[in-house]
Amino acid sequence: MSDAESPSTFDPVEPNAGEDFEPVDVFPDTNEFDLRPGADSCYKCSTCDTNCPVAEVDDDFPGPKFQGPEQWRLKRQEDDHSIDDSIMDCSNCMRCDNACPSGVPLSQMHNTARGEYVAEEMSKTSIEYWRNRILANYRTSAWLASKVPRLASFAMNFGPARWVMEKTLGVTKERDFPEFATETFREWWEREGAAAGSRERARDARERRGEPRDADKKVAYFHGCYSNYNTPEVGKSMIRVFEHFGYEVVVPEQKCSGTPMFANGMLDDARRHAEVNISSMADLIEEGYDAIASCTSCSMALRQEYPELFDIDGVETVAENTFESVEYLRIHEDLTDEIEAAAVDGDLAREFAYHAPCHARNQGLERQAVELFGDLDGVGVEDVGDSCSGISGTYGWKEEKYEKSMEIGDEMFDHMEDAGGQTGMTECPTCAMQMEHGTGYDIRHPLELLDAALVE
Amino acid sequence: MASAPHIVVIGGGSTGAGITRDLAMRGLDVTLLEQGNLTHGTTGRMHGLLHSGGRYAVSDQASAKECIEENRVLRDIASHCVEMTGGLFVKRPEDSEEYFQEKLEGCKDCDIPTEVLSAEEAREIEPHLAGDIEKAISVPDGAVDPFRLVVANAASAQEHGARIETHSTVTDLLVEDGEVVGVEVEHASGSGVRVHGTEGGTEELRADYVVNATGAWAGRIGELAGVDIEVRPSKGVMTIMNTRQVDTVINRCRPKGDADIVVPHETTCILGTTDEEVDDPEDYPEEGWEVDLMIETLSELIPMLEDARTIRSFWGVRPLYEPPDVGSDDPTDITRDYFLLDHDERDDLGGMTSIVGGKFTTYRMMGEEISDHVCAQFGIDAECRTAEEPLPGSEDFSVLRDYMDEFGLRSPIGRRSVERLGSRADDVLDVSGPNPTVCACEGVTRAEVQDAISQSGSDLNAVRIRTRASMGNCQGGFCCHRLANELHGEHDEPTARAAWDELLQERWKGQRHALWGEQLSQAMLNYALHATTQNRDHDPADGEHEVEFAAFDSGAPDAGPEGKAGTGRADSGIDGSDAVADGGHERGD
Repeated sequence: MSDAESPSTFDPVEPNAGEDFEPVDVFPDTNEFDLRPGADSCYKCSTCDTNCPVAEVDDDFPGPKFQGPEQWRLKRQEDDHSIDDSIMDCSNCMRCDNACPSGVPLSQMHNTARGEYVAEEMSKTSIEYWRNRILANYRTSAWLASKVPRLASFAMNFGPARWVMEKTLGVTKERDFPEFATETFREWWEREGAAAGSRERARDARERRGEPRDADKKVAYFHGCYSNYNTPEVGKSMIRVFEHFGYEVVVPEQKCSGTPMFANGMLDDARRHAEVNISSMADLIEEGYDAIASCTSCSMALRQEYPELFDIDGVETVAENTFESVEYLRIHEDLTDEIEAAAVDGDLAREFAYHAPCHARNQGLERQAVELFGDLDGVGVEDVGDSCSGISGTYGWKEEKYEKSMEIGDEMFDHMEDAGGQTGMTECPTCAMQMEHGTGYDIRHPLELLDAALVE
Repeated sequence: MASAPHIVVIGGGSTGAGITRDLAMRGLDVTLLEQGNLTHGTTGRMHGLLHSGGRYAVSDQASAKECIEENRVLRDIASHCVEMTGGLFVKRPEDSEEYFQEKLEGCKDCDIPTEVLSAEEAREIEPHLAGDIEKAISVPDGAVDPFRLVVANAASAQEHGARIETHSTVTDLLVEDGEVVGVEVEHASGSGVRVHGTEGGTEELRADYVVNATGAWAGRIGELAGVDIEVRPSKGVMTIMNTRQVDTVINRCRPKGDADIVVPHETTCILGTTDEEVDDPEDYPEEGWEVDLMIETLSELIPMLEDARTIRSFWGVRPLYEPPDVGSDDPTDITRDYFLLDHDERDDLGGMTSIVGGKFTTYRMMGEEISDHVCAQFGIDAECRTAEEPLPGSEDFSVLRDYMDEFGLRSPIGRRSVERLGSRADDVLDVSGPNPTVCACEGVTRAEVQDAISQSGSDLNAVRIRTRASMGNCQGGFCCHRLANELHGEHDEPTARAAWDELLQERWKGQRHALWGEQLSQAMLNYALHATTQNRDHDPADGEHEVEFAAFDSGAPDAGPEGKAGTGRADSGIDGSDAVADGGHERGD
């Protein structure tokens, strides 16, 4: 292994996390991984720091290089108090993963360190802990709100209530809470006949398309919390578009993807939810289904964060067979041809200002909407650039982070204002919140446009 | 006696520093002379194992007993230099069961506490041990930082009135009437802390007694007075990994051989070693196959080493000695015991004793014995206190504190700083001004660097051994210039530049043995950075002409219409006479 005899297997982007080796299972049911070997891949170039949107606006934030490889290399394995509290200022946008030229598992290091910090160092009676826990467990609040959606939508945006929430919990009062749908996606789905209904519609569609009626085209939809409780129209479009292409859709039992939990270091909560998601998705994948998500952070969680953070049976199977919805259609269908032949008129015949979410970027999907809709008659889609929207899920909801979140978003707001359209487009629900908050535009999902172009 | 006798100790390694501290604490007047930095010789080139004695429990029980005794002492007096990692003797299926039992028995005979662990239990302690290991014996091995330990001994000696001279080479022994009465010493820079560019000079030091504690170099000192000291220097390679694959000392449980130990050391692991006799302690081949051997063989114990990043390799020279009548052929057969050679008895040369052989772990015991011997020469009956008095930094301290509130430091940086500084942490880190991190790999802040500079002058390698700055994975790529910058104020530009050059050279020396995979990428990045942002590939300041630095601030004063070469040089430096300035990255040592 000296310079005289260099091994030819060296791959500079292959992170060395000791993955090939199976260490004995000494941490059953915990999320403690020793990520020190990941520091081997870092040669300190600082590209991650220059790509970090938080470091750009927050001078006290030491940046991803410190949070990741440096901190892991310096920390004591046996020490319960060695994670710096600045880990809580990372928004988990995961841009550092993409920036790194050397394959350092940065977000894995951040997520794991944050989990360790919250488990071992953060006071479980502090307001910050409970605020973060409530924000991270959005699904629980949303589930409750969906029981009384109109009341919840009113109450959550009722001025005095928001003032109290900011003062007592540290949830910013600057933002409008998203409205709760009067009918959840899943309620609608049941009404539509669920899997059996979908099978019939898919078969009809195949016949119409000249494909065998029994073609093996089936997907399991991971809708996530937001399309279920807040924007069921996205879920509905996803169903209609997939059925249009002859796919039978099932909507299995599922919980939160865990994205807001990773970002708040609530790894135990995330694990509990992941176990449900992995178990139901893995079973379906065994039966020949592929897993599809319409939210790019959900697909990111299933594809990357689960295998990085959890050692759960089936985790790799799920990761390998999960796709973002439009990505999946681009792989398997001749989407371009159909779009060229189609045209949109009516409500969505607009010019869109498109923002690619950071998590979509990490999956290589940032050009997808722009490329796809370039040839669609009746609409225009303009990319507003590669900056981060700044909200990063729960980050921008925290009172102390609100200003920074808006400062990060400034570039995107400017570019949206400069773009021709007055409507925004993105795949990520919280990016959509930020886009709307910063510009007042109506924000739509690419699936809605596909639906309008191909189905309606 | 009117005044305390003056003792000159030659050799600033662990033994010399230990003797100096001991004698100074007993009230003698001591001068320590070292040709390089403290730890420059063998001490700075060891794997940092605090022996439990387990390694000698079969072959050399006398040494083993000394080790366990001193192991306990050092945990106590040098707590800020020691990390009690524990150690394992790991048996693979092909290793002999008989030897395993001998090892266990041997440890018992030497009062070394042991426990036999199943493979499963051993892997619970160290998950990265190979899946097919059979079992292990746990022993109280530890890790010790030789740099910190020697610096603390020297600091303690200084507190007790000793004079410490580094970069001071003994060029002659003064002999009068068959007795050594002093030394002639050449200082590289002025006396006291080293400052580059300061005029050195030769000094004659009269001494009532001289102690030769130069280890592998003992023969050279002997020659100066015409006595023969048959030290048999034996080299061993050590390879440093970027991170800790293990947190416990891992020994291979088989008779002594090559590549059988991994020692967790601060942020890294050190793999060792070989044992091969050499003629010259300063000039011997450093070969790639030796490094390969470390990684390949130790991967049998810890498979992930095969693909892990190596940051550098270095070689050390053991000062082995055996009485002339033994005549071992193989250096591995030479005892690790130490010998006190009184040249009066041995060679009819009074006034000097040499100490040879021995191990780092027992440095204090060796110091005690030779100090007793020296005191006996003068009829001084002073008690040795080095086993009880903690070293500076090892008085009561706790690493568990709130670093952010106390020192404004990020947790892992505060933690590492306090571990290094021990009880001196409050004095050093509690500063009022800004305290940025200078070396990010090892978490070293300006305050700690400034503290080191105040101890060692402009010598950045001396700062390095005190702080670990530049010893992490970028090997100084991102901090050498920052360290040089810290010299500013106290020291001028040429001084800082000379110190900077020296540090870069030293960092390159070991790193060039790790140039594949990730460390090659690192070296390439360092080179590009140093060349493009610091002119290290062609520095006009190294040329014949003086650079007018002021021109950068105020512009060229009288630049004619066609410009003047003298001021333009600062920018371009393209001029045949500067071609020698290659900045340190192309050269070896």
